[in-house]
Amino acid sequence: MAGKFVMVVSEGSFDKAMMPLIMGTTAASMGMEVHVFYTFFGLKLLKKGVRPKLKGLMRLFTGMIEKKMKKLNVPGYDEMMRQAKDLGVNFYACSTSMALMGVKDTDLIDGVKVLGASAFLNIAADSKVQLFIG
Amino acid sequence: MHGSDNTAGEMFLDKDETLDARGLMCPMPIVHLAKKVKGMSSGQVLELLADDVGSKDDVPAWTTRTGNELLGMEEDGKVFRFYIKVK
Repeated sequence: MAGKFVMVVSEGSFDKAMMPLIMGTTAASMGMEVHVFYTFFGLKLLKKGVRPKLKGLMRLFTGMIEKKMKKLNVPGYDEMMRQAKDLGVNFYACSTSMALMGVKDTDLIDGVKVLGASAFLNIAADSKVQLFIG
Repeated sequence: MHGSDNTAGEMFLDKDETLDARGLMCPMPIVHLAKKVKGMSSGQVLELLADDVGSKDDVPAWTTRTGNELLGMEEDGKVFRFYIKVK
């Protein structure tokens, strides 16, 4: 399927970490070109060794949901990220958010490109599907 | 290969490969399906087994979007069996 799918991720909680990876791997499996732009609190999801937590007080139960996912054979964050990269999903870090959050190039996982809004919009301009996850 | 006591559901026995995606949940059956089909040749038939309830609609959506052909589907208890002809 020809077509481009773009997402913007502005939050870094567990659900918002998983959604772009689930949607991204699926779209890439359907032959779509996938581009994901991480900004504001979403940016931390691209840092090495990150372990996304549920939102607010629910963060205390993150281990429980991870355990349940394992039991149900649902891949976790690291495995989904590996699959997404393997399928050619493109990941971008917002350059301004990096400065704002004090994130350095060397903090990012391999294969992430640092991009400004204009460059991302240029990629997104001819996309068929757009999602905002925030 | 087609014995006389075959059920209607086994009419597509001429498959080249089988992918057992039972026990995998959305979106993994589709991810594995896409990877598997990539390694197959045009015209080959893949049998896909899946028990994620989402597969029932996900697999036809995938074949429609990717241009591969869904030759048939059957439900066998909780297991869905798909036959896909590679584009």
